[in-house]
Amino acid sequence: METATVASPSAFRRALIEWWQSEGVLWVFVFKALLSVFVALWLAYRLELPQPSTVIATVFIVLQRQSGDVLAKSFYRIIGTMVGLTVTVTLIALFNQERVLFLLFLSVWLGFCVAGSARFRDFRGYACVLAGYTAVMIGVPATLQPDNAFMNALWRVIEIVVGILCAGLVSGLILPLTSSSNMRATQYNRFRDFIGFAMDGLNGKLDLTQVEQINARFAALAVGLENLRSASAFEDPRIRLRQGRLARLNNEFMVLSTRFHALHRLLQRLQDDNEEDVLEALQPCLDEAVLILEPLRGHLLVDAEAAQQAERLDSSKQELMQRIRLARQQLAIKLPDEAQSLDFDTAAELLFRFADDLHGYLLTQASLISTHHEREQWKDNFTPRSNGLAAVISGMRCALLVLLISSFWIATAWSSGSTAVLTVGLVSGLISMTSRPGPFATQILIGAFGSGAVGFFLYFWVYPVIDGFAILFCVLGPVLAFGAFLLVRPVTAGYGVGWLVWFCILSLPVDLTQYDPSHFLNEWIASLIAIGAAAVAASFILPPNRPWLWRGLEQDLRMRLVFAVTAKLKGLVAGFESSTRDLLNQAYIQAAGHPDMQRHLMHWMFAVLEVGHAVIELRQEQAALPREPWYAKSMEWRACVRIMEQALVDLFMQVDEDNRQRALIAVEQAIEAVRNTPEPRPPQFDTSPLRRVLSHLHFIRTSLLDPHSPLAKTSSVVIESASLATAT
Amino acid sequence: MPLPREIDLLGIYMPTVTLLFLVTLAIGWGIDRVIAWFGLYTYAWHPILLRVSLFTCFYGVVALYFYQ
Repeated sequence: METATVASPSAFRRALIEWWQSEGVLWVFVFKALLSVFVALWLAYRLELPQPSTVIATVFIVLQRQSGDVLAKSFYRIIGTMVGLTVTVTLIALFNQERVLFLLFLSVWLGFCVAGSARFRDFRGYACVLAGYTAVMIGVPATLQPDNAFMNALWRVIEIVVGILCAGLVSGLILPLTSSSNMRATQYNRFRDFIGFAMDGLNGKLDLTQVEQINARFAALAVGLENLRSASAFEDPRIRLRQGRLARLNNEFMVLSTRFHALHRLLQRLQDDNEEDVLEALQPCLDEAVLILEPLRGHLLVDAEAAQQAERLDSSKQELMQRIRLARQQLAIKLPDEAQSLDFDTAAELLFRFADDLHGYLLTQASLISTHHEREQWKDNFTPRSNGLAAVISGMRCALLVLLISSFWIATAWSSGSTAVLTVGLVSGLISMTSRPGPFATQILIGAFGSGAVGFFLYFWVYPVIDGFAILFCVLGPVLAFGAFLLVRPVTAGYGVGWLVWFCILSLPVDLTQYDPSHFLNEWIASLIAIGAAAVAASFILPPNRPWLWRGLEQDLRMRLVFAVTAKLKGLVAGFESSTRDLLNQAYIQAAGHPDMQRHLMHWMFAVLEVGHAVIELRQEQAALPREPWYAKSMEWRACVRIMEQALVDLFMQVDEDNRQRALIAVEQAIEAVRNTPEPRPPQFDTSPLRRVLSHLHFIRTSLLDPHSPLAKTSSVVIESASLATAT
Repeated sequence: MPLPREIDLLGIYMPTVTLLFLVTLAIGWGIDRVIAWFGLYTYAWHPILLRVSLFTCFYGVVALYFYQ
């Protein structure tokens, strides 16, 4: 008891800090949401805007926890709104007498926008969504009053801009939670985790599950950090001046983790094949590498420290080189066969390059301190990649749905049909950016149902008896706070969206409020039917978390190798690394709940990364060859390498045993040809390009031979069994 | 120099303040770039607040100058 009372003040403080860091942030968000709504609503009434609901709905759609996200979203929201406005006004001008044609074109446009958002999935995707639903928001009411359409369109734009300004100012100025600090913290943590992971790997303490988990996380972080970077540039001018270096840092991390993965796989294969001699010779080199990593372990490396560590690494690299040369001499005493010395050389080169990549990463991190730096000159982009078929399907699904609801409206002269069409457009846009549209739409449905019931009560029992903005806000406050509370938690975000957006649309008093219960109920029911239709369509018309998409993503992953072989060398590494991870990240999300499938897709990513990275380095090596006769394009080894590249493309396009054997033979022929090429240079890998070519080729060969690789299994079996599991 | 309260822009009457807002936005963006380039934001406690305040000051000056 005694100790408990003594410890309690500090324990209380610690608990308070913990609460502030986890829950407190959520309450800050709720507070900021209420404040921005307060300002926006007051302005909307003060300026006598015709639809205050649009202002508030905009605030809730734009509002994010981090201010950078809000600013980025606001920027793209304005662009999307302007594009949507232009298209709608054009459509109205073309078809204002003809509702059928107008709705037909509107649904096609919406389909395009939703497909675009599924294709980009970042802020540009968000602009697509907005271009779509601004068109619906302006266009559908305009079909009822074409003569006012233009003025109404302008009012909507003004309302949206007021909403954006309020949300942006409040989230940027008051208790800002910056995206940039979040981004830096994520980078520090990721690097620390990677060092721990790498040391465990070098010490042989990693099992396959750990490797899979941490790689899935790194892939998700690579994508997330890229989004954070573009959001932070909106928010912080210091980040904008460092954009190139931050992109480079992310890319160097991806290269680093790919390199480490290759090294780790090679060591594993050596262990599986019981290559004791090689492993024994390598051990001192690995120990040296662990020593190099030791000072970086377990603490967050800040930018100021990075320069010093980079300097240390630069000298350690030379020691590592000496250690490798010594080890090779020791191995030579044991008279290894050709394959063993190749194994050793390949592993040693990977290890050295790993240290080199690490050095580059640290240099880039150190360069972040100064405002300007030569490392800023970095033109390669993060290349997001997604499944084209999935994007087309989600676009078509949305267009069909809007068409269906519109024809129902026209056929039955449904008095609330316009609300239903508007709602379906809005919901399709809102769910198109999420990874699980079906469940999200269901959440929106439940949220909209709840807020409608509360709104009905407020509208007919409370609004008539209150007077003045202050009291109105006191009434709205708790309802909106509850919605914001739901919105901020990822698990309940759908309920929050449904609650808030449809509360604003249905139950917010306008300047000239009409108390008409039957109208209210009709609108409510129409909204619920439309959201329900969207939920049903998203859950049943080719939903994305099914085998068809997994198969598509697997195919896309394999096509990355074709990209590595055929694309231009400029910016190839960044394009290859980032797009492969982006695909894996989507695959992981879409296959959630099917660990077998996730593992299968993860192994495909490994196979593609291993072989693809080696192929790219092989191509870079060839591009940088000096002009000497034994490196000429007409030499036999260059022809063999070209044949091998073609064989690899064939293999990854059509995976079967025949193609694998063909690829293996091609690699072996290339190795043979390189070996038979005379090269008058010392045979170390820092002086001899052919030595390096040889080790890349050897690495490709071991990848193809790896019995755990999906190349060795027939992949259709895994997908069939996974789809059986979903069916049952 | 008194300016008309509304400006005819392709057949729509726009309040002049709106146009001034856009003009100030462009100027503010330029100044922001210059400040960032010289690394002066490092000395600001709250860069976003500084940016918004600078913008407000400029907008006020420009609007008052034309509307005096």
